[in-house]
Amino acid sequence: MLKHYIKIAFRNLFRQKRLALINILGLSIGLACFSLFSLFTVNEFSFDRFNAKASRIYRVYDWWSFSDRQGSEPSSATPLGPAMKQDLAEVEDFVRINSAGEKLIRTGNQINRIKVSFADPQLFSIFTFPLIEGNAATALESPKHIVLTRDKAIQLFGKTDVVGRTVEIRTGDQFEPFEVGAVAENIPVNSSIRFDILGNFNYVLNSDYGRASINDWNMTIGISVYVLLHEKSKLMNETARLAEFRQKYFPGETEKNNDGSPTNGFGLQPLPDVHTGVNIDKWGASDPKNSWILISIAIGVLLIACINFITLAISRSAGRSKEVGIRKVIGGHRYQLIYQFLSESLLLSVISAVIGLILGYALLPFFNELSGRSLSFSFSQYPEMIGILSGIVLLVGLISGIYPALAISGFQPSEVLKRKLRFSGSNFFTKSLVSFQFVLSIGLIISMVVIMRQLAFMRSKDLGFYKENVVMIDTQSLDIQKNYPVFKQTLKSESSLLGIAGSVIGLGNGEGQMGRGYKFENRVETVIEYPIDYDFLEVLGMQLVAGRNFNPEIASDAISSVIVNETLVRNALGTNPEEALGKEFTSGKEGNRKVIIGVTRDFNFEDLTRTVRSQMFLFPSNFKPNALFVRINPGDPSKALAVLTAAWKTISSDLPIKYSFLDQKFDDFYQKEKRWSNIVAWAGGICIFLACMGLVGLTSLAVINRSTEIGIRKVNGARISEVMAMLNRDFVKWVAIAFVIATPIAWYAMHKWLESFAYKTELSWWIFALAGLLALGIALLTVSWQSWKAATRNPVEALKYE
Amino acid sequence: MIHLNNIDKYYDSKFQRTFVLKAVNLEVKEGEFVSIMGPSGSGKSTLLNIIGLLDAPSAGEYSLYDKSVLDLKEKAKVDYHRNFMGFIFQAYHLIEEMTVYENIETPLIYKGVKSRDRQAMVADLLDRFNMVAKKDLFPQQLSGGQQQLVGIARAIIGKPKLLLADEPTGNLQSVQGEMIMETLQQLNNEGMTIIQVTHNEKFAEYGKRIIRLEDGIIRKDVASKIVFSI
Repeated sequence: MLKHYIKIAFRNLFRQKRLALINILGLSIGLACFSLFSLFTVNEFSFDRFNAKASRIYRVYDWWSFSDRQGSEPSSATPLGPAMKQDLAEVEDFVRINSAGEKLIRTGNQINRIKVSFADPQLFSIFTFPLIEGNAATALESPKHIVLTRDKAIQLFGKTDVVGRTVEIRTGDQFEPFEVGAVAENIPVNSSIRFDILGNFNYVLNSDYGRASINDWNMTIGISVYVLLHEKSKLMNETARLAEFRQKYFPGETEKNNDGSPTNGFGLQPLPDVHTGVNIDKWGASDPKNSWILISIAIGVLLIACINFITLAISRSAGRSKEVGIRKVIGGHRYQLIYQFLSESLLLSVISAVIGLILGYALLPFFNELSGRSLSFSFSQYPEMIGILSGIVLLVGLISGIYPALAISGFQPSEVLKRKLRFSGSNFFTKSLVSFQFVLSIGLIISMVVIMRQLAFMRSKDLGFYKENVVMIDTQSLDIQKNYPVFKQTLKSESSLLGIAGSVIGLGNGEGQMGRGYKFENRVETVIEYPIDYDFLEVLGMQLVAGRNFNPEIASDAISSVIVNETLVRNALGTNPEEALGKEFTSGKEGNRKVIIGVTRDFNFEDLTRTVRSQMFLFPSNFKPNALFVRINPGDPSKALAVLTAAWKTISSDLPIKYSFLDQKFDDFYQKEKRWSNIVAWAGGICIFLACMGLVGLTSLAVINRSTEIGIRKVNGARISEVMAMLNRDFVKWVAIAFVIATPIAWYAMHKWLESFAYKTELSWWIFALAGLLALGIALLTVSWQSWKAATRNPVEALKYE
Repeated sequence: MIHLNNIDKYYDSKFQRTFVLKAVNLEVKEGEFVSIMGPSGSGKSTLLNIIGLLDAPSAGEYSLYDKSVLDLKEKAKVDYHRNFMGFIFQAYHLIEEMTVYENIETPLIYKGVKSRDRQAMVADLLDRFNMVAKKDLFPQQLSGGQQQLVGIARAIIGKPKLLLADEPTGNLQSVQGEMIMETLQQLNNEGMTIIQVTHNEKFAEYGKRIIRLEDGIIRKDVASKIVFSI
């Protein structure tokens, strides 16, 4: 029986080539999207589960809960790990991980920039990172041992068999030799713990700042602490014991909330939750909401393809009604006919799945770029995918098939066999489905335009300084006493460069930040600090609204003078810039005195999701510039870059120059938004493409069904334009309805999205109008393609066969 | 075998009731060959559809072998279609996506006959109708007469007791029409009960009994004049 159905299904596919193509193409694209987006999601939720002891590993975090603010922070103090192992019996082991700054790595005479992380040696017994060379016990035997990943070993040595070889790592002003203790397999993409080169945490502890941190519970040097609990431990839920433990090391924390609950504490976060745990790590974790949005988009695309199948099947039902009648008369039961139609849609779904998977596989590199992941289509790595995909294929077949199957199998043979049954091509149901397709398409187009507008807005917004035509050079590796002054002087003498200034921290995405609390007249305010050269403000074109710039001639400028921004004046002093001049404030602990000598117009050194915070510039005497800002002439930067590179060569021949464009660094803040705009644009494009394919199918069927009517109208003097208007009117009406429904939904969604930005573009009415017109225009063009053919046809042809 | 008692069939519109069949009484015995004649719109096909359980009468009684077949459940009707009656149509109504062989085989599939038995039964019929060479062709590749032969083969493959033919020769030239009628007559001689609707006086005479229908009322019900003998 099934064989019989499948045979007939195939013949039907071949007979209706155009419809089959529309259906299969649509479903394939939908399934390709779905497979990629679900791969993304499965990967997101598979994070860290490959670790054999995943269920026993927890990350320790700090939380605070006051009446007016709550939060948590996953970086911990250095002594936390050892103390937990010592005090709490269920803590079997701990590992501290200090990740990762890029460092210069020398092997032979080859120099690379590679990230170096540090961890306690027991990392390899707690986590599951197989070693391909060496063994876990000796991998990080001494503070001068390191572990390479397979890729890095090959990059540095061309092979993996490198245990015992020497790698030099730049620390301070010189290269320091380390010995390779082991080579690890590459870290799986779904691991939260990542390293390229892993050093021994004891090396960090031997450094000045490491030693200082060993017994300091109040500072962190940026480490995460993971603990391995015993099998039956319930420590993660025993808040009382964790509170007791905390009390031992923070005896000063006696403050309680009104209800008696503690204001601070330690918490344990299960390892599998680390990647998506935005509640604990707001900035570092990946928001699972994104996965759900992606999956919803994929389901939307699939639904559009399913709807094409449904509407086309219904519109074609006239053609198949005869077959249904015959089958019933010769003894076919209705359920057998339902099976038959369902097996046809299932067959189509399976064929589409095969094509869709091939398509998805081919598009994976593109999708990886789009989503910023490096996923691979591996059913062994993601066994869940087999179930998800077979489930969705079955579901797609059922959803597409069930309505047409029920509708068509219900025909009465006495009617369909005798009379010439004509359907108008579509009914209210199929037309609402078409509307639904356009609701999705228009909604996505609106979202895409809004996201792109917001991106453009953020890029073009005046940030309060020059970001165009500024090159930022990384000078961390330069010797401050000898090379830096020479380098700066060399560049100053170049007339083609417009200005040079140094700063302790770089600007833009991926650069650090310093800040601490200061005591003002009547309140404490956190201030972000930028130690800079005296010429920094001028080179970056920042405006002083009051006071003066730093002056190297004035000795006090290097000790206590600061230049602050308007926000600081307003928030911390509650006054205006003129009044603020000469005001003093002190740093909380040390009591260092600062005097305001100037106030700058507000500027955005941070990304535009945040409002401007209180910030200030200092001009310290022990200035160590890590970044040099060079303003160049607009236009082709290659000449200026050549000058910079040549100057660098003269002072530091052994190290490569590393520079970036400042506007690029600021654009990089918005990679996430750029990704989303790309994904939404693609999805919107695919949706509208599929919806239009459906329209082509629907109109062509409507045209066939109405060919006599068109012929008669033309014979009676209807013009081509009138016939086209008649055929188009229907479809256009339903797209218009879709627009009315889509607009408020998209407005709401985008309003919500824009709320996450401190500076945002407006949701102007024209965005909605544009999206509506675009969808309408595309739909009209699509429909007209078919209706034009019908309207220009010689009426005699249509009437001849009646 | 067939017993129709006071059958009415009508359609109600806003202002009036239109009768298609009115007070039709008909009894058909096993082994009969009945021709129903009448002008267009006289209700012939409706009567045939009611007999074939494809349409329900508005009033009256209908029993097969003294068992009422009104208000049958869907499943019971399908069983009658599978095991008791076969249909032939003016427009042949073969399934275009299927070959001659498959068209004939389909009723057996629905009946759940095993594959090996199906092969034998279809082969027998193809042989009988001299269509073995055409078994892999599609309906469009056959002449009208041949298509109708396939239609008959499909109708009788399930060995029905009753064959209902709705203008079986309506689309055919007279030579082919005669061939079809002879086939039907032969089936009747083998014991199959046949009821046909026709416009053609000559072909009506192949039946043993002719019923004339006018405006939904049986005007005449007589034995046919000529009795062909084989």
